[in-house]
Amino acid sequence: MSRITSIIAVVALLVLSPALFADEVEFRRVGLTLSEGGLILLDADISYELNATVAEALENGVPLTFETHLQMRRADAWIWESDIVDRRLRTVLLYRPLSGMYELRNLQGDEHLSFATRAAALRTLGKIVAMPVIERSSLNVDEDYLVRLDVSLDIESLPLPMRPGAYLDRDWWVSSEPWEWRLRP
Amino acid sequence: MNSRRLDVLAAGMLVILLLTSLHMISAAVQRSEELGRWFIPLLLFTVVGLVLLFVLVGWNLWQLLRDYRRRVAGSRLSARLSVLFLVLALVPVSVVYFYSTRFLSSGIDSWFDLQVDSAMEDALMLSKASLDLHKRERLKLSESMLDSIEDTSQTAIALAANELRSSSGASEITLFSLQGSVLALSNANPDVLLPTPPESGTVQQVVAGDNYVGMTTAQDGRLLVRCLVLDKRQRGIILQALYPVPQSLGDLSQKVQRAYELYRTRAYMRSQIKFSFALSLALVLMLSVFAAAWAAVYTARRLVQPISDIAEATRAVAEGDYDKQLPTPRVEDELGFLVSSFNAMTRRIAGARNALEDSRRALQNQHNYLETVLGGLSTGVMALDAESRVTTANRAADQILGMAMDELQGQPLSALGEHHESLRPFVDWIVDGLARHAREGRAEITLYRGGGRQILLCRHSPLEAEKGIATGSLLVFDDVTELVRAQRDAAWGEVARRLAHEIKNPLTPIQLSAERLRHKYLGKMAPEDGRVLDRATHTIVQQVEAMKAMVNDFSDYAKPSKLQLEPLRVDDFLSEVAELYEGGSQQLVMQLDAPGLTVEADPVRLRQVLHNLLKNALEAGGENGRILVNSRAGEEENNIFVEIAVSDNGPGFDPELIAQVFEPYVTSKTKGTGLGLAIVKRIVAEHGGVVHAENLPEGGGRVVLRLPAMAQTVGAAVKAGG
Repeated sequence: MSRITSIIAVVALLVLSPALFADEVEFRRVGLTLSEGGLILLDADISYELNATVAEALENGVPLTFETHLQMRRADAWIWESDIVDRRLRTVLLYRPLSGMYELRNLQGDEHLSFATRAAALRTLGKIVAMPVIERSSLNVDEDYLVRLDVSLDIESLPLPMRPGAYLDRDWWVSSEPWEWRLRP
Repeated sequence: MNSRRLDVLAAGMLVILLLTSLHMISAAVQRSEELGRWFIPLLLFTVVGLVLLFVLVGWNLWQLLRDYRRRVAGSRLSARLSVLFLVLALVPVSVVYFYSTRFLSSGIDSWFDLQVDSAMEDALMLSKASLDLHKRERLKLSESMLDSIEDTSQTAIALAANELRSSSGASEITLFSLQGSVLALSNANPDVLLPTPPESGTVQQVVAGDNYVGMTTAQDGRLLVRCLVLDKRQRGIILQALYPVPQSLGDLSQKVQRAYELYRTRAYMRSQIKFSFALSLALVLMLSVFAAAWAAVYTARRLVQPISDIAEATRAVAEGDYDKQLPTPRVEDELGFLVSSFNAMTRRIAGARNALEDSRRALQNQHNYLETVLGGLSTGVMALDAESRVTTANRAADQILGMAMDELQGQPLSALGEHHESLRPFVDWIVDGLARHAREGRAEITLYRGGGRQILLCRHSPLEAEKGIATGSLLVFDDVTELVRAQRDAAWGEVARRLAHEIKNPLTPIQLSAERLRHKYLGKMAPEDGRVLDRATHTIVQQVEAMKAMVNDFSDYAKPSKLQLEPLRVDDFLSEVAELYEGGSQQLVMQLDAPGLTVEADPVRLRQVLHNLLKNALEAGGENGRILVNSRAGEEENNIFVEIAVSDNGPGFDPELIAQVFEPYVTSKTKGTGLGLAIVKRIVAEHGGVVHAENLPEGGGRVVLRLPAMAQTVGAAVKAGG
């Protein structure tokens, strides 16, 4: 239990200063916990806010793919050293005009969730609960690790005609400031 | 592989890569999923490739412009052809681009019609209305189902849920308390143990008394109607029922939804689609234009290259480079024929040039040979052109005329007479001869120069380039002064010898006879007759003595030399001779400055020389004469000599006779044979020396003689002298 406390002490549950992050995607709370089974879990509360351009595209049936990217590597790793953890969560948000519902599809688990409002869908999108990161036993206790989390809208998943314009339009560069911290297991 | 071929290969590869890339972009635009991911990289690659191609074209155009400005051979034709090709390529491509974009734009616009818009909206609305009707029915059914539950105990509720679900056709029925705890769950799938959670907010809505009905999607994508109803009997129960939409209605609705979504998304992306197509077309256009521009410049250069080569080579030939050969084009066309003809022409010109060079060299050799021969001649040779201008003169001409004839080159010969008065007789004779058009002339011309009389033997003859056509005149002249003088000396020698022989012999009998007459008859005659006899015989003897002396002089002059040479210290010798003249009324000053210097000479003959000179000086100076004898050592062309000068303060030499004073019978004196200085000259010449006479600026004359010094005394003399 003391170990869990120590991890929590290192990582803590941080309320982030909004000034540090992009307006559209913010990390409200990020935390790592150790499960009873010795698994390090990630919890995060991310706030999404869509600008008018992106919202208009969504309302017109354009599916939006958000990618949550989690990386973990040794703190003093060489640049060519591969990441210990490199995981991407890709979730599609789309609007169904017939039902007037917003739908979230988890591309990994093939889950469907429907929401009557966009805000409800975005809230759910921003909830990461107990996402397994790595077995603690596979980490070296004498070593520091860097954990990095960032979220972005994937322009490459937009319909093809929109991509060149999206690359040139700042409104489509929806992403968070990367969230980094140092971890000693 | 040369650089040009490498350029073509690189440009060709680039164009092929760009075409492939554009083809893949085109495929990606046509919704090819696997290529979709490569759309942006392909786009970037194409843009970079086009930039490279643009740079290549720019570089080629810049080179063309640079050549044009520098007026490089063929650049103007290349530029004109390039512009022509470029215009020919650009016009159709631009027309195609213009109309393609217009057709594309209007084509895309035609997809989105107001009627279609409205039809799509209507279809959706119809589907919604149909679904709404279905939803209302299900809401009512749900309300009645909740109302039909009488027993709210745990077991009864669970049973009722199962019963109601199977009777209503719902896929899931869940009963909640107002606090949200699950009271009962019945799912068509017995494996599902957890209820589908209601959305946040909907429960509050229901608790507030507003029942909820809405659409949701099952995990398998089917449409479901979700109903949440509150128990009207205030039992604190909420029922959530999920009804699958009937198959037919669901499928139709899904189809309508998909079609609507597709249409709506496309309509939304209309401008982006246009932009994508326009971008692709623009890339194709740019590729075509750049490739055409590069090909235009390359083709123009390639076509013009042989012509440029010929122009360049012609310029080289004009500048004298006849060895220029052009590479023969591989294609046997008219240009190839032109190049071959040009090469043949330059080969022939080079051959002719070489032959000309050979003959020029032979001519130069001949010229050098002639010049050497002329330079080696002691005869002066001068060539005049048709206008009597000096064209050539050899070294001997310079020496004989005493001037550099090079300075007169190209000037009329008469200028020679104007600048050198003493040469006027020479010039006048030639000018007269040429004026009279005399073909040839020969004359002996005497000039009076600063150094004395000069006799030239001259001859002129016409210079003929072709038979009978005179292009100028050739003058040949010799300085025969010394020759004439030698002939004269020889003649005088002969005269003297004959005089001595013919006259001296009878003189002694004459003298003896006169003395005998006097001796025999003087005593016997009357005093008066005796005086006459005495005077007559005395006169005869005296005159015979005089004649003897004269004949002896001639004899001395004519006598062949038999020198008894011995080394003589010049200064000592001069002092010894001078002693004989001391004590006279005239002043004799000795300035001897050749101590120790020795000459090899016959003392008797040399003494005669000095006596003759001193006697002449004494006679010239008169009663108050002042005679200066000096000696010194001198050096000329590495030869040491002794110079002895005898000067007097008399009237000096007659300027008209000064050049001839050493010839026999040339004298200004009333007495004497006129042989003194001739004998001096002869003796000095016999000793290898030279003598000359000159007048002193302050008055008086001086005779200077130079004798070669003996080698072993030279060092001492030079040391002593200076």
